[in-house]
Order: sequence, then C-alpha cells, then structure tokens
Amino acid sequence: MGACALRPAVGTTCTKATSLTAGRADPAPRRMPSPIALPTHIKPLMHGEIHLEQLTKNFGEVTAVDGIDVNMPGGEFFTMVGPSGCGKTTTLRMIAGFERPTSGRIVLDDIDVAQVPPHKRNVNTVFQSYALFPHLNVADNVGFGLKYKKLTKEEHRKRVTDALGLVQLGDYAKRKPNQLSGGQQQRVALARALVLTPKVLLLDEPLGALDARLRKDLQVELKALQAELGITFVFVTHDQEEALTMSDRVAVMSGGRVEQAGTPREMYEEPATLFVADFLGVSNLIAADASPDQGGCALRVGERTLRASTGATDARGAVKAMIRPERISVEPQGAVGDNRLPGMVERAVYIGSAHELHIRLVGGDLLKALIQNDGSAFAYEDGTPVTLYLPPEAVRVLRPSVAPEAEA
Amino acid sequence: MDRLRNPWGRPRFLVLVTGFYVLWSLIPVGLAVLFAFNDGRSRTTWQGFSTRWFTGATGSVLHDPALQGALRHTLFLGVVCVLVATPIGVALALGLQRWRGPGGGTINTVMLLPLVTPELVMGVALLLLFLQVLPGIGLGSSAQVIGQVTFTISYVVVIVRGRLVSIGKDYEEAAADLGAPPHDQLIRVLLPLLAPAIIASAAVVFAISLDDFVVTQYLSGDASTTTVSMLLYASARAAPTPALNALATIALLITLATLGLAYLVYKRFASSDDAAVMAGLEV
Repeated sequence: MGACALRPAVGTTCTKATSLTAGRADPAPRRMPSPIALPTHIKPLMHGEIHLEQLTKNFGEVTAVDGIDVNMPGGEFFTMVGPSGCGKTTTLRMIAGFERPTSGRIVLDDIDVAQVPPHKRNVNTVFQSYALFPHLNVADNVGFGLKYKKLTKEEHRKRVTDALGLVQLGDYAKRKPNQLSGGQQQRVALARALVLTPKVLLLDEPLGALDARLRKDLQVELKALQAELGITFVFVTHDQEEALTMSDRVAVMSGGRVEQAGTPREMYEEPATLFVADFLGVSNLIAADASPDQGGCALRVGERTLRASTGATDARGAVKAMIRPERISVEPQGAVGDNRLPGMVERAVYIGSAHELHIRLVGGDLLKALIQNDGSAFAYEDGTPVTLYLPPEAVRVLRPSVAPEAEA
Repeated sequence: MDRLRNPWGRPRFLVLVTGFYVLWSLIPVGLAVLFAFNDGRSRTTWQGFSTRWFTGATGSVLHDPALQGALRHTLFLGVVCVLVATPIGVALALGLQRWRGPGGGTINTVMLLPLVTPELVMGVALLLLFLQVLPGIGLGSSAQVIGQVTFTISYVVVIVRGRLVSIGKDYEEAAADLGAPPHDQLIRVLLPLLAPAIIASAAVVFAISLDDFVVTQYLSGDASTTTVSMLLYASARAAPTPALNALATIALLITLATLGLAYLVYKRFASSDDAAVMAGLEV
C-alpha cells in the first residue's frame, strides 16, 4: 500500500476537497496548507470552534475530567495528550456525545451541545478500533451516515465515490472491512467520517494499531489532509512525539486536568510545569535553590550558581530547573565561564545520529546531553570528566505539577 | 508414558480416553437408530434391514396416528417456542446489557436461575401455577408453550449477551456518531451483528423444546398434546416396536438438521473466529 495514500494526487486535490466540503452550511474560504497558524482575524468565524467550559465527568466516585476549560480554535489541529487515565479520551467522548458531562458546557460554534445526543451533533469520530461495520462493504460503510442527509441516489453515490477517492480507496468499494489491511481500514474510517462534512473531526488514537513506519507516514498525511480540508481535528494520543509533530495546538492532560495548552513549540520550549516538561520530550531536571538575580533568577546548585532567565523566575527557595539535552554544550574539563557545571560522563550511548551522554553532576543529579554525530572522533568515553555549559536562556525554572488554569 | 519419551509426540493416552468417550456416547444413539431399520418387531435382535417402521402399512410412523400426532405436536411446540422465546430473549439481553441502575445484578442472577433449577422443580411449580393461579389457561398446548418459553429464554439471553459483550459498544457508538437515531442503531447495526447469535439461540431453543420431557409432560392436557418424548416414555413399558426408534430417529435428524443449518448460517454471517466459538458451543 502506498505510503502517501491519504493525500490525493496533485492537481485533483482541490476538486476532491471541494466536493467533500460542498455541503457545509458556511462557504468559508479554506485555509492554505501551512504549518503556521493563521492570525485569528483571517480565520473564518463559526467554523468548528469548540470551547470546553468547566467540563466535568464523574464515574461514580472517580473524577475522570475535572472542570477543564479548553479553547479549540476552528480549523486547527488540536491534540490532547497525556498518560492513560488522564481524561483525554473521556473528554473526546463527551465532545462526541457518547458520555454525558456531569457538569459544564461544550460550546460548538456558540451553541452548547453538552446535552445533545451524539446522532444530532455535527461532529464525527474516527475510532481507535475503526469500528467499521463488518456486515457492510466499504462503500456502504462510507455511505452509512449519508442516509440521514436526504440526498438523491446520485448525490449519495457521488459523495461516497469522492470520499473514497480522497483516501485513495476507490478500487476497494466492494470489499468487506476484514479484507483490508489495518492502514486501509483506518482510511475507510476517515472517509466514513469526512463524507458527512463535519465541523469537527474527533480522532481517538487512530494510529495506535498501526506499525511504526505506517504510523509515521499517516501522521504526515493526516496533518496535510486536515490543512486542506480546514476542518477542526481533535486528536487524542498518548504519544508525545505524535502530539508535537502533528498539532497546531497541544493540551497536556494529567489527572483529569489540563496541565498546559499551547503550540507545540511553546509546550516543548516553555513548559509551565514539571509534568509537562517531563512528559514532552526528554528533560533534565536539576534540584536547586532559587534566589533573586537581576532580570532572572539565581539557582544555587551545590557549590555553583546558575543563572536562569526563563520560566518561573519569580520562584524562591527549593525549585526544579529544566534543560533539554540538545541545549547543553559539553566542553572539556576546566572550561571557565558563567553557567558551567562540572560532571563526569557516566555512560555514552550511541544512537546513530547523535551520541547521548549521561553525565553525573557533582551534586548527584544526572543530566543527558546530545552531541551530534558529525563524523569527527568521539572524545567522551565513559568516565571522562567534563564541564557543561547551560545557557541561561535554556535553563527553565519550573513550578511543581499543580495544574494551573488552562491557557488555551 | 510415551510423552515422557517423546514430549513432542501426540498425547496418546488422552487421545485414547477421548476416542473411547466419543464411541461410548455414540453407541446407544447408533443402536437406537440402527433398530429403527429392523425388519422385525424386536428392538434388540437384528432381523434384517427395512424401512417398514417409517413408511410400512401398519404401525409405522407414517400410518400410526398416535406417532404422527406426537411428531406434529412436538414440531408445533418447537416452532412456537422459538417464535416466542427468541424475540423476548433478544430484547432481554439488550435490556440487561444496558441496565446500569440498581437491581441489575439481581436480574442477571434471576435470568440464569432456569438454567440451574432442576427441571422437575420447574415442572411442578409451573403445574401448580396453571392449576391454582391461572386456571383460565388450563393445561395443554398453551401451558406447554409458556412452560418451555419460561426456561428456554435463558438460553437466548446467555447466548445473545455473550455476543453483545464481544461486539462491544464501538459499533453502536459509530452508528450514533454517523447520525443514526437509536432505532436505526439497533436495526442497521446491532441486529445484523447479532444475527449469528440470534440464529444460534433459536436453534438451541428448538432443539431443547424438541427434547424436553419433564415440563412438557407436567403441562400436557389430553392425548393431543402428547409429544415424541412423552410417547417414548409412555410406551417404553407397554408394547414397544421399532416404530418408536423410527420416531426418535426422525426427531434426532430434525435436531441435527436444525443445528447444522444454524451452524452454516452462523459461519456465513460471522468471521471464522466466531464460527469456531459456535462450533464449541454446539458440542
């Protein structure tokens, strides 16, 4: 199966996308495929924008979702990510209508749909299991929901054909779902949801069942498709890399609350809490004692002092500081200057494109640093004493993991 | 002990035990069927092959009104029982599956009670019910149908619920998500997916109804409500002829045909895994 199958062939892209979205109520201009979010004033209004307001779901004694406030701008790729049990899937199921919120509002384009049953919501879901109807062939699966659109036979047939074309499965219309591969089933599920021209497409770990390679390809294709169609995608995953690479906006959830929401760049480079820093990517944590410093914060680490200019620089006392492995510079022992810490290479791990050094600080903390593999001789065998340079702008002071109000 | 010498070899002892058991359970049936074709009045001494007890001029199933009536009534009860018990059982299974309120556990247990209650107890209880509480209905066909439905429903519920559990909630939710109102979720998605289980449970109900003796006996009225099993029991001590064997053979064939048909339909509908489950269920 073709790796790039989700995206229609160049040249047919526009017509396919147009026919798919033709039935939508507002003929808003489609966004250009762009990795950068357009400024708000250009974005069409009333376009699959979701506000979750104080949304709560209790299952008996257990609070699965704990009064979250999230803003999902229309036409964006929004990802909810977190460890299992963090409430991301429950939130998605409430947006779909499968779970009834205990309290709170789900505002879809200015209308609270929290009490609207799922079959009356203009949102569609791609299930983790795909949930293709095994007794129907591919065309009938895709056409299932069109029955409720009051179309003529001809329109019905055309939209099914277009949707299957969009996911490049036109030749598979008569197959039964169990005659398709996992990736093909996934695309049928996508076509079945998109054919109804929803305002919002909900995706519940849709790539979870696929092998790593196909998964990577589909990540790119899914993102491209979203950009072309301009439909709001709400994507749930536990894979932090998937969240960072696909999304316009990410919300990290934990314990039924939103820890932080923002663009992937913000989330990775400016994590607000310890949890977010730790969950998204590899993060080095350093225990330190914070005191005021001009324009930032001075961190006492053992005998040395680091200056930190980002994060919660107003924090005082015992804090954690964070730095990403790729931001640490490894220098020979004895290099002098500010923001340098001595340490010793405990282990050098060869990971192909880079070397990952595990460096034990004098204070006891373990830091990971990346050295790009540029082909030059590798000078840091196990046991080598080194000096680490931690640029002030890369050292981030973190609040402990207490969920602040969502920022989205 | 062969396994000790060759751990990869077939477990011969277990194969032997299994083979013996299969033979042991089939021999009586085989003998009964064999003597249905005996060319004499004896049910123990072979006197040559004949189909006289099926179609002969005298005393055969075809020409003895009592035997024929019993067969007809048995089939009648079976069909009515299937038509009544299956829809009710499916509805109960669907309802129980969604039952989230208090008392769900109790109802679950109640549904399983008929499966473990000794049939004699059930028969006596039903007899008293029809004699004392509902004399209006009286004994006879209606009472027999109600009696059989009462306990066969449980089989439908157990089989259909099993399938419901394995189907899960995703398909229904997908249907709802695509705009199907609850009625359509049931008709367009759930029932087609349940079809194999419904057909299987209908076949099981039919087979049990055909086979039932105790409840059917207790609730029977006059001679016209005699079933095959009752007739076999009653005439076993009177003047048994191979015609009884012929009757039993016909009942056996109908049962096997029903289950076979159900299996084929099931296989056509369900995936191969499910068919394997079904095969296990029949054995």
